[in-house]
Amino acid sequence: MSFAVRSALLVTIFCAGAFVARAQEKPPNHFVSNDACKTCHPIAWNTFYRNAHFKSVASGKETPENTGCQGCHGPGGNHVDNHGGKSTIVAFSELPAERIVAACLRCHSQKLSRANIRSSQHTLNGMACTSCHSIHRAQSDRALLSKPQTALCEGCHTDVRVQFAMPFKHRVEEGAMSCTDCHNPHGTFAPTWGMASRPRHVDQAMANEEACLNCHADKRGPFIFEHLGARVDGCETCHTPHGSTNSRLLLRPVVFTLCLECHNGAGNFGRLGSGIAAQTQSHNMADPRYQNCTACHVRIHGSNASSTFAR
Amino acid sequence: MTMRITTRITILLFLIAGAAAAQVPVAPSPDPAGERTGENVSNYNIVDSFETGYRYSAVGGNDSQYRSSVNYGNGIRLLGSSLLVTSKNGHGLLFDQITLSTQGLGNDPYESVVLRVEKNRIYRYDMSWRQNDYFNPGLVTGGGDGQHLLDTQNRMQDHNLTLFPQSKLKFFLGFSNSSQTGPSYSSIQQFDPNGNIFPLFSNVRRVWREYRLGNEFQVFGIRVNWMHGWEDFKDDTGATLATAGVPGAIPIAQPPGVSLNSFQANDPTHGTNPFWRAAIFADRKFFHMNGRFTYSGGQHAFVVDESAQGVASSLSRIQNVVTLGDAERPVATGNLNLNFTPTSKLTIANSTSVYNVRTLGNSFFSEFDSATQTTSVLFYNYLGIRTVANDTNLNYQVSPLWGFMAGYHYSDRLITSQQQFTFAGATSGNLAEQSNQLQSGQTGVRFTPWKPLSVLLSAEVGTNSHPFTPTADGNFHDLNARIQYRAKTFQISASAGANYNANSASLTSYGSQSRTYSVSGHWTPHGSFTLDAGFNRAHTYTIGGIAYFLNQQFLQDQSSIYLSNINSIYAGVRYEIRKRIDLYAGYTRVQDLGDGRASADAGIGSAPPLFQGVQTFPIAFQSPMARVSVKINNRLRRNAGYQYYGYRSDFASLLGYRANTGYTSLSVSF
Repeated sequence: MSFAVRSALLVTIFCAGAFVARAQEKPPNHFVSNDACKTCHPIAWNTFYRNAHFKSVASGKETPENTGCQGCHGPGGNHVDNHGGKSTIVAFSELPAERIVAACLRCHSQKLSRANIRSSQHTLNGMACTSCHSIHRAQSDRALLSKPQTALCEGCHTDVRVQFAMPFKHRVEEGAMSCTDCHNPHGTFAPTWGMASRPRHVDQAMANEEACLNCHADKRGPFIFEHLGARVDGCETCHTPHGSTNSRLLLRPVVFTLCLECHNGAGNFGRLGSGIAAQTQSHNMADPRYQNCTACHVRIHGSNASSTFAR
Repeated sequence: MTMRITTRITILLFLIAGAAAAQVPVAPSPDPAGERTGENVSNYNIVDSFETGYRYSAVGGNDSQYRSSVNYGNGIRLLGSSLLVTSKNGHGLLFDQITLSTQGLGNDPYESVVLRVEKNRIYRYDMSWRQNDYFNPGLVTGGGDGQHLLDTQNRMQDHNLTLFPQSKLKFFLGFSNSSQTGPSYSSIQQFDPNGNIFPLFSNVRRVWREYRLGNEFQVFGIRVNWMHGWEDFKDDTGATLATAGVPGAIPIAQPPGVSLNSFQANDPTHGTNPFWRAAIFADRKFFHMNGRFTYSGGQHAFVVDESAQGVASSLSRIQNVVTLGDAERPVATGNLNLNFTPTSKLTIANSTSVYNVRTLGNSFFSEFDSATQTTSVLFYNYLGIRTVANDTNLNYQVSPLWGFMAGYHYSDRLITSQQQFTFAGATSGNLAEQSNQLQSGQTGVRFTPWKPLSVLLSAEVGTNSHPFTPTADGNFHDLNARIQYRAKTFQISASAGANYNANSASLTSYGSQSRTYSVSGHWTPHGSFTLDAGFNRAHTYTIGGIAYFLNQQFLQDQSSIYLSNINSIYAGVRYEIRKRIDLYAGYTRVQDLGDGRASADAGIGSAPPLFQGVQTFPIAFQSPMARVSVKINNRLRRNAGYQYYGYRSDFASLLGYRANTGYTSLSVSF
């Protein structure tokens, strides 16, 4: 056999093999009716009308790839033909985090509050939507959370959880407020206080103010005399937000140490860069009246009538 | 067999005695009476449950401190309720879903109602209402009780209506109303800067209202969202002398012959804060972007009318102060965030933000003092802050086994300020300008060696060229590690974090270090048993240079030290007996060990006892609780619970309290 004949024979065998292999490939996947899904998954389907995702089913206007079971799980044809199996359908329990995020954002990127999800610390640390949300076993009627919101957040942020158990704290465990009153777990725009670096995931009040002012609006001002430390670096200059062993969530148990740590006249700091004013000679720390700074400096968050916050 | 039962009982008793879940109050009960099957009415399914009962408390020790940190009282409550009405085909006449939940209605210190009503594609209405009782006994300092007492009620309500929530053209309407009302106790210093301090009584009256209007639409695949809001603020709190002629509790060494016979102050402040927010965002396969611009223009107009009459230095004194003026704070921000995802494994994110705020205004201060004659001062103040920041992050999932992220942050801040005083025709003031830059790098790596197991390690190091305050971030670094094992019935996680910050200046230096370690676990071997426990240790040590006067002598070579070692433990165990009786026991304890000293007067360093005595503040706060819930039938459940709160301050024993609280209730659900 000549080289040409052998070559032609090899090519023919290869093409035939390829044809046979192609003929043996699975047929292309296809969409099926939702009725096919509920045959085997009746529990998931029977209460699905309570699920927020039912809205697109109810509309009757969406194509199968955008609604119902297959809107998220992909075409179910192979899954039905093979009588189930995680390998024949998009099973979220088997997907890596980045693919879960991409799958959910196909629809859920259409909201401003989720605009920063891809650069959020949660996503950067490998979390997926299903780390917090459970579509079919949600324990909250809103947002389909896998646990009540506080328990969910505290499940990972255990250091914050114990702060809410301290004697002085924001009343999160008591139900007076929730984590999302201040935080956006899907990511936020850069802080508008401090150096626009930290903290992360803290939402802003009134378009661009620190989240604390959402409730503590009387501290917002504007004041003729702002307490510059708070205005420049934020409320956490003096307070710790979650919980503390100190009253009023202050960083120190007594107020005069808190004040004196900044008001020490040390160069380089403050408005003029020459130090934050130390106390004047009239103050005698041996006298208890001067140990209660806010007994005289009553408007410590800002004043309209006194540069020393005395009225 | 006997041994096994004994072992089981011992373990159970140990768990019940030693532990329970976090600081969640014992009521309302978390257990529904039966399955959430609901009742079908016409085209709707209705799921409803509510719990009503009696809550009691008996407090010993410092009642004010209890009211400040716990505050549960006696009486009948609607402890909690939830209602879910859903149309079964998504085509209800007026609505498709109503979600309502309440807590503490009746007389609990924390009451809330959250409501959502929506009709698919047409509208969504969200409402929240909250009422919190706020009590603060005043700061406790080295010299005795502070005088900023508050016994107020805060009410907040938000209403948001979204029209066509599932369409590309949406409209937003919103209204918020908040108020703070109630008595408070403050103080005023008269008649000169070294004068005495007198107690004042105030009736707090503050109201905020905010109206919002917005819209969202899509152009060329880019969503545009804008909102305009108006916020009005009113503070009509005035002050009167609490007790004529009697100085407050603070001045121990009061000047002789000083008294205040009458005092009256009215200082209404009214303001408005209109704001605009416009944003664009788009999400494509390989590219995602969003941008935002905000502007708010806060304004306040104020008047202070103050009159005082008394005696100082054996002379009759009359002092009238009138202040009026206005303040403005326009704030503008801009953000641009870009995300690239060239592959599903790689994300590159860059965000740029600009923040610009100016605070300005003037205040005319006029004082008539029978001793110092008439003075008039015009204060003029300006504060400008401009911050530009850029942040770049890269996130790469190398393989299912591991991935990493890295980031760099740079920000530049310019602070411009001026304080100007015009006094008796002469003007003085100083203009200051300073800038500082922050640079930080961030990196992290995550491992998933086994599907249920994940390990996260991250670090950040940064430096600020010119911190504004001695306690701000100067040269800092953070280290964090977390390991988590998460299976269906068992979850355990441990984390460790360390934060160091050093901030030095010519006369003083500030340094802080904090370390946190925690471990927590959650075990649910089957539906009738749950164990939840955790331990956390938080160590904080700060040292900062201080300068102060002591008996006319200026001291500036000392340090203020603060040392805190907080151990926290929580644990909870829930056991269900034959799907009928639900038992829960829990324990929480927070203890700040301080630096281990037995009394306040044995401090660190050379500072006088005043400062050594406040270097640490050991306390203990604990709260054991137990609850039993008996299912009577599928609709009814009987509950009873007990919770103890105990607070102890080692160096201020008068602050301690012991509170026995509890409740009994009936849960109804269908």
